[in-house]
Amino acid sequence: MTLLEGEINQVYCIDKLLIDGNTSRRLQSLGLIHGTDIKVVNKKRNGAIIFKTRGSRLAVGKDIADKIILEEREAH
Amino acid sequence: MKEELQVAFIGNPNCGKTTLFNAYTGAKLKVANWPGVTVEKKEGAFRYHNHQFRLVDLPGIYSLTSYTLEEKLSREYILDDSVDVIVDVADASCLERNLFLTLQLIELGKPVILALNMMDIVKERGMEIDLHRLPEMLGIPVIPVSARKKSGLDILMHAVAHHQKKFNDGNLEHHHSDIEHSAHKHSHHTEFALVYSDEIEDKIDEIMERLLAYDPDLKNPRWHAIKILEQDEEICKKIDIDFSDIVTRSYESDIINQKYDFIEEIIEEVVVNKEVKEANTDKIDYFLTHRYLGLPIFLGIMAMVFVLTFSVGDWLKGYFEVGITGFSDGVLAVLQRLHTNDMVISLVVDGIIAGVGGILTFLPNIFILFLALAFLEDSGYMSRVAYIMDGIMGRIGLSGRAFIPMLLGFGCSVPAVMATRALEDTTDRRKTILVTPFMSCSARLPVYVLFSDLFFGKYAVVAAFSMYVIGLVVAILVAFVMTKLQKKKVKNSLLIELPEYKTPNLHTIIIYVWDKVKDYLTKAGTTIFVASIIMWFILNVGPHGFVTDISKSFGAGIGKLVVPVLIPAGLGIWQIALALISGLAAKEIVVSNLGILFGIGNIASSGSKSALMDALSGFNFTAVNAYALMIFVLLYTPCVATIATMKREMKSTKWTVFAVLFQVIVAWIVSVLFFQVANLFI
Repeated sequence: MTLLEGEINQVYCIDKLLIDGNTSRRLQSLGLIHGTDIKVVNKKRNGAIIFKTRGSRLAVGKDIADKIILEEREAH
Repeated sequence: MKEELQVAFIGNPNCGKTTLFNAYTGAKLKVANWPGVTVEKKEGAFRYHNHQFRLVDLPGIYSLTSYTLEEKLSREYILDDSVDVIVDVADASCLERNLFLTLQLIELGKPVILALNMMDIVKERGMEIDLHRLPEMLGIPVIPVSARKKSGLDILMHAVAHHQKKFNDGNLEHHHSDIEHSAHKHSHHTEFALVYSDEIEDKIDEIMERLLAYDPDLKNPRWHAIKILEQDEEICKKIDIDFSDIVTRSYESDIINQKYDFIEEIIEEVVVNKEVKEANTDKIDYFLTHRYLGLPIFLGIMAMVFVLTFSVGDWLKGYFEVGITGFSDGVLAVLQRLHTNDMVISLVVDGIIAGVGGILTFLPNIFILFLALAFLEDSGYMSRVAYIMDGIMGRIGLSGRAFIPMLLGFGCSVPAVMATRALEDTTDRRKTILVTPFMSCSARLPVYVLFSDLFFGKYAVVAAFSMYVIGLVVAILVAFVMTKLQKKKVKNSLLIELPEYKTPNLHTIIIYVWDKVKDYLTKAGTTIFVASIIMWFILNVGPHGFVTDISKSFGAGIGKLVVPVLIPAGLGIWQIALALISGLAAKEIVVSNLGILFGIGNIASSGSKSALMDALSGFNFTAVNAYALMIFVLLYTPCVATIATMKREMKSTKWTVFAVLFQVIVAWIVSVLFFQVANLFI
């Protein structure tokens, strides 16, 4: 599944990013790498998503969220 | 040791770096631009005991790669020999992400001190950080500070002064858990905080060997080797050696992953109690970023900002007017008693005081507006606006992030145009730069305040507020049309951090607002001062020397040339044409020069207002004309400072010329449309 399909208040784990170039670099330096936990905090109809990871809160647009591949994980 | 220590402040955005920097330097900082670019550079001098410090505030960044201007600049600056100590400011409440930059800084091989900011928030949340173990693992001093509560400031500077001497002692006590199994031929665990996997360490050794053979004096070969493994554009360009046998692919992701592995190790050992309380930010965000409530709340906040600007600002303005009229009368009386030449009296009273004083009366409105913007920025709400607006902006082909520069445009177009730098895509940036000046800046405010007061009576606030709405609508329409015309469909992508909400810091806000007010005053004292003198001269001099009837002056001649173009917009009066031309220097000048043009002293005082009203009604100038004028001033080409900034940011003369012409044409079309349509009904 992708981050776009994530549900509010669920915790997931990043599998991989399907993006290259600078956006990918930016995401990786923010700690969005394989195995990182992500908690979806809020989402909008147009697909923009707020999530928490590594203690910080990030917002991404639909087309980035669509390319972050997640694995499901039990909430803790 | 050098007489003066050069200290660079660096850290993630929103880590409180600027607050900390301000706590040391106060308002005595020097703001300049980095050579050749428009990224702001802040410097301040500061004395502590026997040490003289020169502090430099670098742009907030998340990593030290060379892919954005800010990162490149910071890296180049830090690597420069003149920097003695790096102070890495980290937000202790999200230590994990902040440590990524810390590790990159440590790798640069210069003295680094970690200032753990926001320790008060950490405590509030019931977290605890082991301040003994953290420096051991990183091999650098760690100083807890709170920029807001001004605690730990002296200790930090003490550490800066002394760490520089102790640097290179190298007594790291950190051990990787898998150290015994390493087959790598060198053990680096006593030298470096972060030791990579055997595969990477082996390659680092090989690259370093080759680098040192090529240049034995190379500073910090290990850092260069890591950058070569990451295939960093800048470094690979700089070092012309073939490493293709060692670097068979980019190891960038591996290096990032291993950095985060180490960070996880640190967090595991150092952060004792993980977050227990739900952060207040989440509760606030439940409403402010709510999928339905978010947008109405934002619009409500903006409406409140403008109501405050106009109502409270106007109330304060009353006192200013009285003061300036009094001053003008006083100067007139003194000059007359001294039997000064009538020409000189006219220049001083009708030229300089009328121009500059007329502008000064609007200071309260501008003060309130910037106060509100500072509040929005410092509280952390600004990045939520990017999220809230992402959907609407997406429809016009821009990312939600592009809305931040547009919002800043309500203050001043110059920093707003600069703020578009946060947008990575060139087309997006260009589009945003083109529409940002349509957002009504504070310099246009005097025009609205004056004319809506004169012509719209009790609806003055509505008339003035409508300008902001029209500006926003035009900006959105233009961006929409441009996106439709664009052949290449680029996807806009929002990526922004939402920082913790915090009570805005009084000190930070005072410095921010003072900076803007100072700008405004400087502009009144320089640009507007000079423009007032020039205006007075071209109105008092004609082809045959000094004239008594200004309609025979040079100024009238220039104005009359433009009049035919402005007739369809109901602005076919040479005085107004001339005021609009002079407004290119700065838009406030439209107001200050109208005072001079119609021979009225301080234009904002009540007596002068009726004089202006009389003068204008002589031309059959009604509320419809006034509104067309307000629209024209809102939309036409911004001031020269903005044009210069646009040119620097777009790096293209062609686009700048296009933008300038485009804005004049849009202004003309919209004001003509309004004037013609309105006249059909009235």
